[in-house]
Parts: sequence; C-alpha cells; structure tokens
Amino acid sequence: MFVEYTWLVPLIPALCFAIVGFFGRRTPACGGYIAIVGAAASFVIACLVSYDFWTSDAYAGPGYVEEHIKWFSLGGHDVNIGYYVDSLSCLMMLFASFISTLIFIYSLGYMGDQGDKRRRYFAEVALFLTGMLGLAASSNMVEMFIFWEIMGLCSYLLIGFWGFDHPGGEDMADNAASAAKKAFLVTRAGDVCLMGGMFILYQAMGSLDYSVIFNQANLSAVDGDTLALASLLIFGGAIGKSAQFPLMDWLPDAMAGPTTVSALIHAATMVKAGVYLVARCLPLFCQNEEVLLFVAVIGGFTAFFAATMAMNNMNIKKVLAYSTLSQLGYMFLSLGAGGYLICLGIKDGNAELVAAGAVGYIAGCLHMANHAFFKALLFLCSGSVIHSCGTEDMRLMGGLGKKMPITSITMLIGCLSIAGFPFFSGFWSKDLVIETVFEAGETDPLGWVFMIVWFLAIVTAFMTAFYMFRLWFMTFRGEAGPNAEHAHGESPKSMTMPLMILSVFAFGFGFVLLTGFDGLLELVPSATGLWTVGNGAAEGVGHYMGELFTNPYTYLTIALVLLAIGLAYLMYCKRSVSPGIVSKDGKSWLYRAVANRWYMPEIYDQVSWKLGYGVARGVDFFDRDIIDGTVNGLSNAVVGGGESVSKMQDGNVHTYSTVVVAGIILLFAASLVLFFVFGGI
Amino acid sequence: MIPIEYFITFGIILFCIGAYGVMSKSSTIVVLMCIELMLNAANINFVAFSAFTGDVMGQVMVIMTISVAAAEVAVGIAIVLNAYKVRKTVSTEGLASMRW
Repeated sequence: MFVEYTWLVPLIPALCFAIVGFFGRRTPACGGYIAIVGAAASFVIACLVSYDFWTSDAYAGPGYVEEHIKWFSLGGHDVNIGYYVDSLSCLMMLFASFISTLIFIYSLGYMGDQGDKRRRYFAEVALFLTGMLGLAASSNMVEMFIFWEIMGLCSYLLIGFWGFDHPGGEDMADNAASAAKKAFLVTRAGDVCLMGGMFILYQAMGSLDYSVIFNQANLSAVDGDTLALASLLIFGGAIGKSAQFPLMDWLPDAMAGPTTVSALIHAATMVKAGVYLVARCLPLFCQNEEVLLFVAVIGGFTAFFAATMAMNNMNIKKVLAYSTLSQLGYMFLSLGAGGYLICLGIKDGNAELVAAGAVGYIAGCLHMANHAFFKALLFLCSGSVIHSCGTEDMRLMGGLGKKMPITSITMLIGCLSIAGFPFFSGFWSKDLVIETVFEAGETDPLGWVFMIVWFLAIVTAFMTAFYMFRLWFMTFRGEAGPNAEHAHGESPKSMTMPLMILSVFAFGFGFVLLTGFDGLLELVPSATGLWTVGNGAAEGVGHYMGELFTNPYTYLTIALVLLAIGLAYLMYCKRSVSPGIVSKDGKSWLYRAVANRWYMPEIYDQVSWKLGYGVARGVDFFDRDIIDGTVNGLSNAVVGGGESVSKMQDGNVHTYSTVVVAGIILLFAASLVLFFVFGGI
Repeated sequence: MIPIEYFITFGIILFCIGAYGVMSKSSTIVVLMCIELMLNAANINFVAFSAFTGDVMGQVMVIMTISVAAAEVAVGIAIVLNAYKVRKTVSTEGLASMRW
C-alpha cells in the first residue's frame, strides 16, 4: 500500500535540491527549512514504507518487493529503473533520512553565519541525501551506480565547500580544494573497479537486476572464477567509497569540509554506501570463500591500521575520521567473516555454520546503524565544540565540560558507545562482530588467518576506547586551554537538540538486537532461488544475553575497554602518567610514523607521480603522437601535396602548352604500345 | 602526281615548327602566329587527303577552319592589345599573374 510510494523517498530530497538550488536565496534561512522538511518527509515515508513492508505478505513470501519500468534498451538488453525494497534497504533509508534530518536541523545553527553560501550548502546536502536514499532503494546495479556517483559528486562539492572564501584564510581554502580533489580522485579509482565488476557481471548474467543476479540458480550457471573476479572488483568499489586500506587516505583529508558535512559523510551517507554495497552483494561474494577472506582481512587490517593513527592525532575531527575508518573496517570484517561461514556452511551442508554466518551479517548491519548514530553524535558534538572555541586543535581546548554541559554529556555517551562500553549500542554490535570472527577462526583450513584478524580486532577495541577517551578528557576535562578560556559557552538550541536526540539512539539503538533485529536482517541463503534478507527467526532477549555473557572473550573485551578508559583518564585527566613515557616525548620512530599517517600521503604521492604520471604521459603520447599524429599527418599530406602541385601553375603559357604537348605525346606513345601489345591490326 | 607522303611530311614539319614556337617564343604575337602555323599544318593534311581520296569533305573542313582561325586571331589580337594597354608588355613572362 505504501510500498509503491518508495520512489518518493529519494525524489523528495531531489526536489528540495532543485527548489533550494534555484530559489533558495528568497526563502528563510536560505532554504534550510525546505531541506529539513524534505528530509523529514523522506523519513516519514521511509517509516511508512518500512512498516508497510514488514507487515505485508510480501515480507513473509518472497521477502522483497520489486517494481521496475524499462529505462532503455541496448540491442536486446533492457536496462530497468525501479525500486527494490527489502529489510536492508528499509534499514538504510530509515537511518539515513533520520540522521540527515537531525544534521540539517543542526546545520541551521552551525552554518547560521554563512549568509548566502547557505543556499549552496543546503542544496548540495539535499542532493547528497538523494544519492544515499536512491542507492538504498535502487532495484539494479546500474541505477545504484548512478546514485553512487551522485554521492561522489556531492562529497567533492561539500568537502570543497570552503575551497574559496575560507573563514580561516587562503591556505585553508587551498587545503579544502585539494582535499576535495583527493576525495574525488581516490574514490574514482574504486568506482572504475566497480564499473569493471558490473560489466563482467552483466556479461556473465545478462542482467544487473538484484532479483536476477542474486538468484542462486542464475549464479550457479556462471563460472566461479568470473564471479570471483566480479566480486573482487565490486569490493574494490566499496574500498574506495568506504575508504578502506589502501584507498583510505582521502577520508582524513575530507575533514577540510564543514563539520556537518563530515557528520553526513561519516554517519548517514557516502562511506556507508560501500558497506551497503558489500551487504547487498554478499550472495555474490558467498560463491567464493577466498573473496570473503579478502574482505575480512582488508576490514580487519584497516580497523587496526586506522586506529593506530587516531592514537596521537591532536585534531579533534581527524581522530573521529580515523575512528570511522576503523569502525568501517569492523563492518567489512563482520560481513567478510559472516559470509565466509555461510559459504563454508553451504559447501559442507552444515546448518550451524550458516546460522553463525548469518549472525555476522546481522552484526555488520547493526554496527552500520549503530555507527551511524554514534558517529553523527560525535561529529556534531565536535562541531559544537569547534563552534564554541574556534579551533580544532585539542591542545588548545580542555576544561570545556563546565561551559558546555550538554555537549560534554552527549559526547560522553557517544564515546562510551563507540568504545563498546557494556549495554551501550556499540557494545552489542562490536562484540557480536568479534565473536563471529572468532567462530570463523575455528574453521579449517584458513581459520588461522581469522585468528590473526580476531587478535587485531581485540587490540583495536582497546585502542578505540583509549583514543576516544583521550579525545574526551583532552576536550572537556583538565585545565582550560588558551582557546577554551574564550569559548562562548553552550551552542544554540538548534544544535543541542539534535545532540540530545542522537544520544538517546547512541545509547539505546543496540537494544533492537534483543527485540527482533536479528530476524529482520538475517541473510537467508537459498539453494535454488533468490537470496533474501529478513524473515529469519528472532532469537529473543535471552539468546544474545546468554551468548555474549557466557563467552569469556566478551569479558576480555570489556576488561580491555575499561583498562583503556582508565589509562586515558590517568594520562589526560589526572595527568599522573605522562603520555611522553610511551612516545619518548614524541621522538620514538613509531610515534613519528603514526603522526605522519604511516607515510601514506607520501606513498600516495610517489605512486601517483611514478605510476599515475607515467601512465598519463604514455596516454598523452598515444593521444598526441599516434591518434592526433595520424589525423594531422593525413591532413598535412593533403594540404602539402596540394601546395606543391599548385606551384606548377605558374601562370606562364609556355609551361601549360609544354605540359599539353607532353601529355599528347605520352598518350600517343601509350596507344602505340597498346596497339602493338594487343597484336596490331 | 606528288606522293601523299610529301604532303604529310610537310604538314608534320610545319606543325612541329608551330608547336616549338608556342612553347618557346616569349612574345605573345609570335605565339599567336605559331598557332596559325599549326592550324595550317592541319589544313594541308585535310586538303591532301581530300585530293587523295577524292572526297570534298576535307576541303569543306578547311574553309570552316580558316573562318574559325580568322575569328580566333581577331579575339586573340584584341586580348593582346588590351593586355598591352594594362601591363605595357606583350611578353608571356610579363602576363603570368593569373596563377595560384
């Protein structure tokens, strides 16, 4: 009933984009209210659609609703456009539109002093939201790819929002402009992979509709190596979009944009698209366990690698950016390990493994939603702090807790949640992820790889708690820094209200796991039909409580988290332990390597100079000298030939008559020769 | 009776002299005269073959050619005179401006 209005969900923000973009200057707050109303309307419709879908017969029956119309035909192949609603797309639409609404409201206060530039801002964020909602609602990969690219464009525009007229001066503007270019180009590398994967998939299966390509009967008909290549390339797209190793370096630089944009990119849109893509394509990935092993290893390594860089960064937003990378790594790790278990389970006919793998899928999706809530909260809190004291350097903050009580408390909730403190939302999903990886580690013969990744995940949990509380203590406790003394108190209501709403979710969203989330988001493999999401058996409250709290490793994680919080307290609040002991006052090679982002920017530069520039020069040579050379050579030959022949026309009658006479003699001689060759009379 | 080869040889010599003159003489007047020589070489051939075969058609053609040649000379001399008015020369090198 409402499901057939799913197309409205991405369409309303798109309309807002057009209205704000063209007429924003004449509306109150330069279109801010229109964008908010649009996002809220999308959220309401997404709610209705989700409720309608989850109570409909279609949910129990095929497990999805799909409608499409023919968009265009190429030869005999139709490309469709339409919507595909299942539990995963409902979840995405719900949290993306909800969090975006709150971020837009917050933007009213945060961007309030930007004057006419707000029109551009609100138009672009509305388009950004269109991209994410459209991505979630798409019914095939071509359509999905279009929205994927819209998001890429919007991230470029918004990261470079201050690419000119930066309030902080010319250098900051240049910095924003180059960060925008970096984000666009690095994600482009992933997009090319994704496009290649789509082409291979289309070539192999003749369609890119979800209901066709995730059908096991169609998947079985295709060569396994082709599918493996296609899934690896599609995962390449996710690596670029979700900033996983090695295409991770753009995300910390993307902090050059406004803080609200960072919140949008990290929580509601953009980086979640990569996770969504992998979750959506998991049936495809599940055809080869090596692919899933690769996904899990990339995720686990990124989780650890990014967390190390957050440990000693002094920029409040960059710490949060690294933590996003790290948490995204957890999501990929969870999807990879879960898919690996499902794949093995199907191969061996072991239902227990399949069930354990489905938990990994649930954990990945839950962590995605949880992360959206607490990371939006953390970014908006950091925005509130920056708004108040005018710097992003944590060394200049400190002691803000008294001046900004609401921000301080809501941010504490966010920190506890991301750190995985028991009963906060991050705890449920993170421990489920770690447990899934541990179970994958008990399988043969590649379990040892997962054991290494599991160890990294545990260490990452410790590091996450440490750096998040380092951030919190440095900002809100201790002595007031130079900028904190002049901070002008708590932020306006339009900024604190979203913080309070988000903090409720950051604390409580994890409890949906106990109330039926696991059944809603369960990946149901099929031997002959379509793989669907949802309609699994909900395990109820007792199951996960029992599973988590009888597992000794859960207590290990909790102990590590508490230890990390304690350590951060001693180092940055009481200051009884100097951080200099570990870092040798910033002189140890490890500290310097981490502070320099493990020299990733230098490696990027080297690669792009040596490889990229070399390839570009080769292409340039081919273009200028071979393609252009052929064309120009032909035209030069014609022009030059004409010029040299036209010199013969010198205007002198003697030359002409000589040529005529010579021609006649030649003709005469030729006809004589022919006369004798063909035998005379 | 004079053999026909004599007439043909005479025509060839006359034609070659005319052609040589057209190709080598620098005065336009002389070039025009050489063209007349070549026409007359052809006329001699016509008349000789006409007498040799007893067909009057060749002599008719000659009368035709002579009248055309008269008209051609009138036009040619008029062009040369006008060219001389403009350029103060009648040499072929001096009248070579109609080119690329």
